[in-house]
Amino acid sequence: MAEKLLEVRNLTTGFLTDKGFVKATDRISVSIEKGKTLCLVGESGSGKSVTSLSIMRLIDYAGGVILEGNINFKGQDLAAKKQEELKEIRGNKISMIFQDPMSALNPVFTVGDQIAESLSLHQNKNKDEAWKEAVELLRMVGIPSPEIRAKQYPNQLSGGMCQRVVIAIALAAKPELLIADEPTTALDVTVQAQILELLQDLKEKLGTSILLITHDMGVAAEMADHIAVMYAGAIVEQGTVEEIFSNPSHPYTVGLLQSIPGFEGERGGELYTIKGTIPALGNLPQGCRFNPRCPHVMDKCRQVEPGDIKIGSEHFTKCWLYEDKEKAAAALGKGESNHG
Amino acid sequence: MTEYLIRRILQSILVLFLISLVTFGLIHAAPGGPTQMMISPGMSPAAAKVQMHNLGLDKSIPEQYWIWIKNLLTGDLGKTFKNNIPVGDILWPTMKNTFVLMSFSWVISMIIAIPWGIYNSTKPYGISDQTANFVSYVGFAMPAFWFGIILQQVFSLELNWLPLSDMYAMDKQGNFIDLLYHLILPCTVLILANLAAYSKYSRSSMLEVLEQDYIRTARAKGVPERKVIFRHALRNALIPIITVLGMELPTLVVGATLTESVFNWPGMGRLFVDMARAREYSVLMAIALVTAVVVVLGNLIADILYKLVDPRVQLGRKGGKSA
Repeated sequence: MAEKLLEVRNLTTGFLTDKGFVKATDRISVSIEKGKTLCLVGESGSGKSVTSLSIMRLIDYAGGVILEGNINFKGQDLAAKKQEELKEIRGNKISMIFQDPMSALNPVFTVGDQIAESLSLHQNKNKDEAWKEAVELLRMVGIPSPEIRAKQYPNQLSGGMCQRVVIAIALAAKPELLIADEPTTALDVTVQAQILELLQDLKEKLGTSILLITHDMGVAAEMADHIAVMYAGAIVEQGTVEEIFSNPSHPYTVGLLQSIPGFEGERGGELYTIKGTIPALGNLPQGCRFNPRCPHVMDKCRQVEPGDIKIGSEHFTKCWLYEDKEKAAAALGKGESNHG
Repeated sequence: MTEYLIRRILQSILVLFLISLVTFGLIHAAPGGPTQMMISPGMSPAAAKVQMHNLGLDKSIPEQYWIWIKNLLTGDLGKTFKNNIPVGDILWPTMKNTFVLMSFSWVISMIIAIPWGIYNSTKPYGISDQTANFVSYVGFAMPAFWFGIILQQVFSLELNWLPLSDMYAMDKQGNFIDLLYHLILPCTVLILANLAAYSKYSRSSMLEVLEQDYIRTARAKGVPERKVIFRHALRNALIPIITVLGMELPTLVVGATLTESVFNWPGMGRLFVDMARAREYSVLMAIALVTAVVVVLGNLIADILYKLVDPRVQLGRKGGKSA
């Protein structure tokens, strides 16, 4: 097995409300290998962004508290560090890009300045060197005439270009891990593909590991080496991209895959939806958190929460159906399961 | 930029002209007139008519306005009805007195309030923030005449630490130390009122900016928190603060009527009240004009400052000022 760059164990992040702590993530355990991409998939409100912000410890500024667990990054536990100690890590070893590139850049500084700032913070470059390298970075992320663009302000750039700038900022210090939180959601479809391609290229060129957060199974299929599916604050299934797509096991994952238009089902047919909505975090159902929406719900699901059940070499699912494989096969109509 | 300034100045001239027209009309429409004090009941109608004629008040109001504006263009603000003193001789020294009082309290308020507001935005609902809240309520709730009189009662009459009123002691005209002494009480009144507004504005403006995505980007970049606040957040937060300061700028010259009246400060606020009572039309017109000029100027300065702080602001382009 390849070397683990980041290993998150039992990460539980909560927000203090009138009714005490509400857990936004519940005992999340994921790991990322060097040079690989992990996709965190799930619908809005499932806790994907909270997980990524917790790893960066930016969650502290959003009012969140890490209640439990550790975040091991190259032998250091980020969950236990003080904010001041983290500035050596942030933007340097771990970088992050965000969902809405238009608002992720400071409107009163030129884009060149914003990239150069990262360089002078982490690489002790002087002003001229930092500026020159900022221009080079803009060129690397595919911005035409970077010398001119560097002197412009974010409002003079398109959304796609802004996202390229955000990526340039993130890559300035050559991080080992890049966290991308829905990096293409706010962009046009054609630009989405370009940005994903750029991330893929950079990953290959620089050997950066990527934690990609998305609600789009299509994006995950294209980018991921591993996939972790999140639902209501917990990871309900994880495995390699092949395992997840060829043998989706958790009913929620199955539902997500069926929801992709044109993936299964014919043109003009009704689009598949998972019935119901994601439960409020303070108000999770007893037992399995997916049970109110699950087509295969059993009595046990309403009483006891399932733990990780291993169904492949790296494939885990939190579903009682897999306690007994034959029952699962019959319920999901997939025939004999050949994993184990 | 130059083109923009020229256009703004031309616009301003039009605005000032209209303001003078309206003010002139309003002043003359008010009941009573300067002659009430000058024409005694025993005077014969013929003598009264002569008096009116001498003051130019027998002409129609448009005619009087025409004369006023013609004189204004030659730099002549007119003379008072009483004692025939040139308006400038009354106006400029008074304005200087007001400026001393107002700029002193303005600068001190800003020095205290803006950093305080910024600090409170980093620790909302902390002790300092709650204190600021309390001070704000007190500052807003206490009328200047009441608070001023309380201060006079305590620090001047009871404790005898500070002078009761006026700008200088009788025998110390022009003495700077004495001036500072006299400034303390009226400034305290003005600062308390300003403190509330300025610290609240800077706090809320900063709080809003600190929640923006680009602040998260800065933190994700590894920027130390101090730099996040002072480099990344402050410049964005300054924009609404500039608006408030620009609107406050005119008070530097216009003065604070209540505070000046309570402390018998020989400034513009008091002058305006006195002159309105005496129906000294030319002084009132001059005050109105000066006020209008500084309001227009304050706005212009604020707009130029926006441009310096925020590159998105395009001066002079249609719909160019984006938030």
